[in-house]
Amino acid sequence: MNKPFFSQQIAFELNTQPARADATPGQRLSELLRENLGARDVKIGCDAGDCGACTVLLDGQPVCACLTAAHQVEGRSVETLAGLYRAEEKAKRLADSFQNHGAAQCGICTPGMMVSAIALLRNNDAPTEDEVKDALGGVLCRCTGYRKIIDAVVGAPAIAHDGDGSVGTSIRRLDGQCKVDGTEAFGDDVAPVGCLEIFVIRSPFARASFTFENLASFADATGVEAVLTADDIAGRNIFGVIPQFMDQPVFAEAETRFRGEAVAAVVATSEFMSTFDPRSFPVTWTEMPATQNIHDAQKDGAVQLHHGRDGNVMCGGFVTCGDAQAGLSAASKTVEGHFKSGFVEHGYIEPEAGFAQIVNGRVEVHACTQAPVMDLDSLQIILGLDRSQIRIVPTAVGGGFGSKLDISVQPYLALAALKTGKPVRICYSRTESMQSSTKRHPSDIRLKIGADAEGRITGFDFYGEFDTGAYASWGPTVANRVPVHASGPYAISNYRAESKGIHTHNPPAGAFRGFGVPQSAIAQESLFDDLARKLGIDPLEFRIINALEDGVPTVCGQVFDQGVGITACLKALRPAWQSETAAAKAFNETSTTIKRGVGIAAGWYGCGNTSLPNPSTIKSGVRPDGRVVLYQGAMDIGQGANTVITQIFATALGVPADSISRIGADTDVTPDAGKTSASRQTYVSGNAARLSGEALRRLILERMNVARDAELTFGDGEIVATDAEGEHRFDLSKLACDDERLVLRAEETYDPPTRPLDENGQGAPYAQFGYAAHLVVVDVDTAMGTVKPTKFVAAHDVGRAINPMMVEGQVHGGIAQGLGMALMEEYVPGRTENLHDYLIPTIGDIPPIETIIIEEPDAHGPYGAKGLGEHVLIPTAPAILNAINAATGVRITRVPATPSLVRTEIRKAQR
Amino acid sequence: MNPLTYEKATSSTDALERHDGDAAKFLGAGTNLVDLMREGIATPTRLIDVTGLAQSIEEQSDGGLRIGAGVSNTAVAEDATVRAQYPALSRAILAGASAQIRNMATVGGNILQRTRCSYFYDVAGSRCNKRSPGEGCDAIGGFNRAHGILGVSDSCIATHPSDMAVALSLYDAVINVESDEGTRSIPINDFYVLPEDTPDIENQLNPGELIVSVDLPAPSANRRATYRKVRDRASYAFALVSVAGSLIIKDGLVVDAGISLGGVAPKPWRAIEAEAAIVGSPPTEETFRNAAQIALADATTQPGNVFKTELAQRVIVAVLQDLAGDAQ
Ligand SMILES: Cc1cc2nc3c(=O)[nH]c(=O)nc-3n(C[C@H](O)[C@H](O)[C@H](O)COP(=O)(O)OP(=O)(O)OC[C@H]3O[C@@H](n4cnc5c(N)ncnc54)[C@H](O)[C@@H]3O)c2cc1C
Ligand code: FES
Ligand code: FES
Repeated sequence: MNKPFFSQQIAFELNTQPARADATPGQRLSELLRENLGARDVKIGCDAGDCGACTVLLDGQPVCACLTAAHQVEGRSVETLAGLYRAEEKAKRLADSFQNHGAAQCGICTPGMMVSAIALLRNNDAPTEDEVKDALGGVLCRCTGYRKIIDAVVGAPAIAHDGDGSVGTSIRRLDGQCKVDGTEAFGDDVAPVGCLEIFVIRSPFARASFTFENLASFADATGVEAVLTADDIAGRNIFGVIPQFMDQPVFAEAETRFRGEAVAAVVATSEFMSTFDPRSFPVTWTEMPATQNIHDAQKDGAVQLHHGRDGNVMCGGFVTCGDAQAGLSAASKTVEGHFKSGFVEHGYIEPEAGFAQIVNGRVEVHACTQAPVMDLDSLQIILGLDRSQIRIVPTAVGGGFGSKLDISVQPYLALAALKTGKPVRICYSRTESMQSSTKRHPSDIRLKIGADAEGRITGFDFYGEFDTGAYASWGPTVANRVPVHASGPYAISNYRAESKGIHTHNPPAGAFRGFGVPQSAIAQESLFDDLARKLGIDPLEFRIINALEDGVPTVCGQVFDQGVGITACLKALRPAWQSETAAAKAFNETSTTIKRGVGIAAGWYGCGNTSLPNPSTIKSGVRPDGRVVLYQGAMDIGQGANTVITQIFATALGVPADSISRIGADTDVTPDAGKTSASRQTYVSGNAARLSGEALRRLILERMNVARDAELTFGDGEIVATDAEGEHRFDLSKLACDDERLVLRAEETYDPPTRPLDENGQGAPYAQFGYAAHLVVVDVDTAMGTVKPTKFVAAHDVGRAINPMMVEGQVHGGIAQGLGMALMEEYVPGRTENLHDYLIPTIGDIPPIETIIIEEPDAHGPYGAKGLGEHVLIPTAPAILNAINAATGVRITRVPATPSLVRTEIRKAQR
Repeated sequence: MNPLTYEKATSSTDALERHDGDAAKFLGAGTNLVDLMREGIATPTRLIDVTGLAQSIEEQSDGGLRIGAGVSNTAVAEDATVRAQYPALSRAILAGASAQIRNMATVGGNILQRTRCSYFYDVAGSRCNKRSPGEGCDAIGGFNRAHGILGVSDSCIATHPSDMAVALSLYDAVINVESDEGTRSIPINDFYVLPEDTPDIENQLNPGELIVSVDLPAPSANRRATYRKVRDRASYAFALVSVAGSLIIKDGLVVDAGISLGGVAPKPWRAIEAEAAIVGSPPTEETFRNAAQIALADATTQPGNVFKTELAQRVIVAVLQDLAGDAQ
């Protein structure tokens, strides 16, 4: 709104207490509650009614606080999660149930979910699944896949149980309580009252030149605190996650390269911001012709986006072994296909947000992130400051999935705090978040595969181009990972895979769960089905015939002596595959319009960086009072690192997990546990935690001179060790405290053993892979083209399930994202910049999921564990496409398979 | 600049008195208006809250039903009479938005909600004749998968997003409005106007006119009706195509048929000629296919939404077949 206003006082009841606040006309109830009344348990995901995170009860009915004009609650009752939790037994029981099911992962959707559920439970003690779906249908969750939420609300038997939390047991999230009682503080929840605010001026066009009119007189005339542009950058106006590919400016200079790119920022009071009309900012845009697809970008004469990247090729990746062409020529049958996918948006419910302040001359940035130390690295370059002058304190993260690995709000916050010397805050609008954050790479893949009559793959030739958008971000990682993974978890001796990342005037494509592998898996797993059918071999058996095994080289020539679990995953699907296929056949005999199909697909994922060092360091110690402290710097973005890493550490030390005091990530305090990406935290940081726990235990045993299997208990200023000889006491009060108030400490680093890839992509890119296979049953309405998955069975080899409940949580969440990618999600730059034009699955879209955990211990993982966060989603989309094919005979080669596309393909096939 | 003010109307007369020109806006639950204000598309300076008014659903002496403009969408969908006598209306409402939004949204606001065209919303980066008359339309030739195929013009191809209004159109609802000049009643099927070259004008309501209620004519005996919506996900998404349909079948022949389409036009689209083609025929697939052809005969498509023609035909056939099947 761009009008001045008169505020009026309103009186209402907030959580059964009288409340008064000055509301401005048109002010949203959500803002009034959060900013005027401090009710930050009301979350904002979209400000448009699309996500339901802001749900509160108005006279007992769930409504979106973001669309309710504050004035309209005059004289009425408003209830929020924190109040309900304090006052209502039902709310407490529900909170417990959420914890016992792992129904809150990142927790940003949890207040909206719980408030909606409480309204339902007030009138209905035993709701059915359908009633829950209806009541919660307006609240989006990007993490859980909703099934655990349904279980929690209907009151299904608890999954988590009490126990010491040793490796292999399902305990509740150790950091979960604040997520279910409304006290968790995300990026926008930490700023002090009265902070200055930042508004970023962004390009409305994919490509535009621009000029500023007199910015100083704008600042003078309006009284804003500061205007920031490229001129304010003391260091270098550049950032990027891969040093050799840093290419993105904080503020574009002269020309923008994608819609939503920042050119300036206004820093002002919240009063000013509430009436600020961005159109009054003195910038003049000139729209320029933009290249928005990879074909145009590679044409002669196309505008080159970056110096030195001829033909707009950012970089490529390549792996070959044997002779792919000869293998294909020798094949008894071959199949080939051309597959495409569009941009996919991460769609975390928490938009990028944070606050910054200057403390003792140093700049402190509190924001949501997946990679605090990398944020520090970037700010050091941008601000031109010594590292010691910057502190990054991550807030809770309301979902990340890869995109919060790149910096977003951090430079604006730091620049504004430094320029004004005052605390500043920023929270992206949903549109801003969607415009400016990274995306999954669109893909254009050509693949040919051949096999002999027995079904053994004889040749495999893959070529994939990826739209990496305007800047590199994690594009090079995608380009490298894809050729390594494009084979799928199979033994293929004649193989060639080449990938290329191409620049366009689109938003930067970066890291998103799977780094390009979900796209290549669509092509490979779809053609595996086609090839199996062509050969007359059962698709599941075809995969088992070709599955990679212990001792058999991957396409990179890497040989694993143990832990290759794909055959076990595939075999675990056999019973469901046989029964569901038979059931579908029977169903289709009588059903004409609705056709049922069963699909399977597999996947694998290398954990950690590709052939590059990626160490994690974990520190632990004992306080004089006997408390054990774990300095856990690995970001928990909902996936459960806080719990899992603590479980591993506690097991190594030999104490219960809930006895550990955990200190969360803070670059001043915790050592670098690396970034939360590439499914590496359980494996890499988990190993560092194991080493740290073992080292601390060794140290204590040595100092106490007790047996190796002694049982340790900590507390009351002492450690008690019990071994065969009896009880030994270690008085901690006599020990000297170090500057971190520790009397004993152990800091350990783990870095996965890998070897570089040669020019043919041969080497040892990852120390471990995780393996997965999914089965899905779908009903296709052949008249309308709608596809309804009705059941998933998901088998995942995780080496060792540190916390089985959390494994299930990851599987469910991954399936939901894979389903979205398969059926509904496509980000069209400029067009689907909100959560009603860009659709992610709702609670009604996710069918029951049966999770089968396979444990083929890994040689390197802590207690045999493997990473999981990404292979949970890789098989989902191709399994769905294969199921559509089984149901209709139609091969969909482009995702999302929307009703319009499916129907068009069915019609083509009928002609 | 004038300051923005908020005031709560105590009666319809009070609301009309407070409405003093273009800069004033009646405020329903705000689920659309608050959003449009945030986007800078609606820029009122005076908000007159009418949610407290016209809160009842009353049966009329002629057997019809009068629904107050301020009744929430949830209350309409859950009303026992609506569910029994006007099932397509209840279903249409429940097929729209989410429980949270339906709890808030009013009948008046739902009828008047504006298009969800992304170009209409993109104030800074796109041209839109509905938002800025004469500027041009970037949806034509753009990303128009969600756009209209019936009743569209060279200046605008946006659709009306309401589900509820499609069912109201099927039931030949009448919208009662009040203004300083008195009251008038406008059949919903005349209420919306087509874009032609003035897509900024969407309906017959004059500035300052207040919707007070909606009348549903008395239900016809033996009329079966339903609503079906095809969308990209299970819930909480606007329609690609939706159909409210009804049939009365007597002695093996259709004696009355109703078809109203959503998601395909700038207004709820009554397929009058298609309805006429069914009446007097047996309720067979062939009859319905023929009607569906007629309903979409004038479709003008864009590359992005060609699929809607066939999809709309198929939904029409499916809905009518369901109704015919139920009747047997
Ligand atoms: C996320 C989301 C999803 C949605 N999905 C759907 C969907 O699937 N299907 C669907 O049909 N709808 C959907 N909607 C739209 C929703 O139904 C409308 O926003 C709602 O019905 C508008 O009602 P309101 O009372 O909030 O109107 P308001 O926003 O208050 O008002 C809308 C307009 O009507 C005017 N107005 C209101 N009352 C009167 C009156 N009595 N007389 C004259 N003028 C009046 C206002 O001035 C304003 O111009 C969705 C909305 C959101 C936010
Ligand atoms: S913040 Fe209110 S619905 Fe998303
Ligand atoms: S737990 Fe639901 S969005 Fe993260």
